[in-house]
Amino acid sequence: MPEIRTFRWRAIVPFALFLVLVVAGWLVFADRLGRLAVERGGTALLGARVEVRSLHIALTRGNVTVSGLVAASPFDSLKNLMEADQLVAQIDVAPLFEKKVAIDRLAATGLRFGTKRATSGFVPSHGESATTQIMANVRSWAAQPALQVPLLQLATGALSIDSLDPRKLQTVQAAESLTAHADSSGRAWAAQLGTLNVQATADSAVAFAQRLQVAKPTDLALLRDARRTIDRVKQTRDRVVSLERDVQAGAGSLDQGLAALNAARQRDYAFAKSLVRLPPIDASAIAWVLFGPEAVAKFQRALYYTQLAREYMPPGLKPHAEPAAARRRGVSVQFPREHALPGFLLRDADVSLLLGADSAVRPYSGRLRGLTSSPALYGRPTTFELRAPTLSADAVFDHVHDTPRDAVGGTIQNVAIPDIHLPGLPIRVTPGKGDLTLGFSLYGDSLRGRWQVLAPRAAWQRDSGGPGGPAADLLWQVVSRIDHLDLTAELSGTLSQPQLHVRSNLDAAVADGLRAAIGDKVAAAEVTVRARVDRFADSSAAPVRARVTQVKTQGAAQVAEARRVIEAAQQRLEQQLKKVTGGIFH
Amino acid sequence: MLVLKLLQSLVKALHSEGTPGQVAAGIALGSILGFTPLFSLHNLLVVALIFLFNVSLPGAALGWAIATPLGFALDPAFDALGRWLLLGIPALTPLWTALANAPVIPLTNFNNSVVLGSLVTSLVLFTPIYVGSRWGVRRYRETLGERVKNSGLYRAITASKLFGIYRLFRPSA
Repeated sequence: MPEIRTFRWRAIVPFALFLVLVVAGWLVFADRLGRLAVERGGTALLGARVEVRSLHIALTRGNVTVSGLVAASPFDSLKNLMEADQLVAQIDVAPLFEKKVAIDRLAATGLRFGTKRATSGFVPSHGESATTQIMANVRSWAAQPALQVPLLQLATGALSIDSLDPRKLQTVQAAESLTAHADSSGRAWAAQLGTLNVQATADSAVAFAQRLQVAKPTDLALLRDARRTIDRVKQTRDRVVSLERDVQAGAGSLDQGLAALNAARQRDYAFAKSLVRLPPIDASAIAWVLFGPEAVAKFQRALYYTQLAREYMPPGLKPHAEPAAARRRGVSVQFPREHALPGFLLRDADVSLLLGADSAVRPYSGRLRGLTSSPALYGRPTTFELRAPTLSADAVFDHVHDTPRDAVGGTIQNVAIPDIHLPGLPIRVTPGKGDLTLGFSLYGDSLRGRWQVLAPRAAWQRDSGGPGGPAADLLWQVVSRIDHLDLTAELSGTLSQPQLHVRSNLDAAVADGLRAAIGDKVAAAEVTVRARVDRFADSSAAPVRARVTQVKTQGAAQVAEARRVIEAAQQRLEQQLKKVTGGIFH
Repeated sequence: MLVLKLLQSLVKALHSEGTPGQVAAGIALGSILGFTPLFSLHNLLVVALIFLFNVSLPGAALGWAIATPLGFALDPAFDALGRWLLLGIPALTPLWTALANAPVIPLTNFNNSVVLGSLVTSLVLFTPIYVGSRWGVRRYRETLGERVKNSGLYRAITASKLFGIYRLFRPSA
């Protein structure tokens, strides 16, 4: 049998050629592959299309240059979140062999925000991707009732009042509950009185008193029995007194229930008023109706980007899984180790921004530090700061500890502020140049946000299309005379229970205008709904009042009668005993 | 087309000049390529083994051709196994952490659940596949081999250009 050689020596040259081809392929296609990786990775990370005009990798110089980076907005299909003319990154080559990217310095030039784009920047949603989930969560957050803003509508002709369901009235529910309470109290008092056997005890005492009438002072056994009978009568009396106190307390509780009916009725008035399709005419609600959606949209975006930061910069050092695209579904698990480099680290970045309208773009420079995929390894929060005479912005993403603390904020003065459309109305305000402030923080799940617009020379525009009607006419009459805008929206609470307060200089003016126009209708509607509430509430409350009175009276009378009977029996027995013993026993 | 290639691989492997052991080793190594995601760094090592060791190239092609669809079908199982190994066994976490922070090894994507699950599965199956294939090839050559070798189909396949390339790397005795 011939000897079988283990190695195929003649394959070494072809295999070496194969390796050379692989290396040559890398050299030829590295830039293209890098560009695809940035585009695909960026798109997956942001949840909107990321495009790169060109990317050049010069590993010998440890240098990667990205030109023409465009990141679309996840919220507006025809707008970009950001454009950058060029990003030049100085990278550490050694960590690449650990599949880690460590950028010592990044120079970003020509950054512009909110630019327009010709094609949609949205990407098809993938049900399980992190960005899809975050977007769904943020939309769900913004859809909470606490952040829903009613459209401004004015009633025309007869006022529309939604059907008032009596089952939803708190007075009716409280009345039913109080009736049950009264019935159970009455039954309980009767049962307790029954267990005391007051009449039987009293009869027994009276019978014993009659026996004592013929007793002699020397009949000691009879006298002892008499003493015991008196003790039993006293115990029964004490229990009756205790029950009497219970009845009084129960009656007090029923009285409180009756008082609660009145409070419930006040709440029902408010509930019924909310069913009347009328705009709010109190000043505090006007800004909420007019600018609430815009404020919610601003905070919604801030929350989205904050949640993205939490997703891709998770706190702690525990292994965590991320969806991966290896052939099929799967997860790539990250295993951070203390004192080792994070998977991604951008130590320091000089950022050159271009801000302002197209005709008056001004350059600004900022600094970004410590952007990393594993903040706990890096040990310091990610910070961004930008200072200029008319502009300041700061951001801190502190995910070093278990409870993440994120805060972003910025103020820009004398900037062209985009138009704000009033929801559901063909009216928009063109604030012109003014000051803008946006602050947003998320500590754990505690929210705090502030959006402020100060526009000293605001103008109002009425669009030809869109719904018109009395609301638009009335509002236009009021706002078209107002030449400035001072708007503040403040967000507080938690992710699950947010609270939004909006106020503006329009509030009082619009409220006065509305009140003048429809105040009489509002008053009439309120009278109507109060009457309806009263009708339903009275039909429920009157029987329960009668029932409560009956139960209280009946209970008190039964207990009082029992007490009278038992005390009379006790008195008679004691007097008879005293008479027999000549006052020795009493 | 896929069926034709599979048939071609099958015929070439079974009638190659390698021993049943060489064909079986090729099939077992090729199955690793098929079971695991192709563009993984460890597969470069597998390709090197196939080229440099005197195993049957048609055998490797056959193993790859058979294992690839199986691998795709078994991806959910590989994913589950990988997740269990990566996340379900705390005692292994220090090992994964050390590997994840070592040079080069992270480039293998071992921390991906499908990659790890399929690689572990293919390594576990390596010996059974090798032993089973060796027995199968031997039995085939003892029973059907000669008749197939004289058939028109065999002549058509061996006349193809690919067969000429194969001869360059055929296992040598």
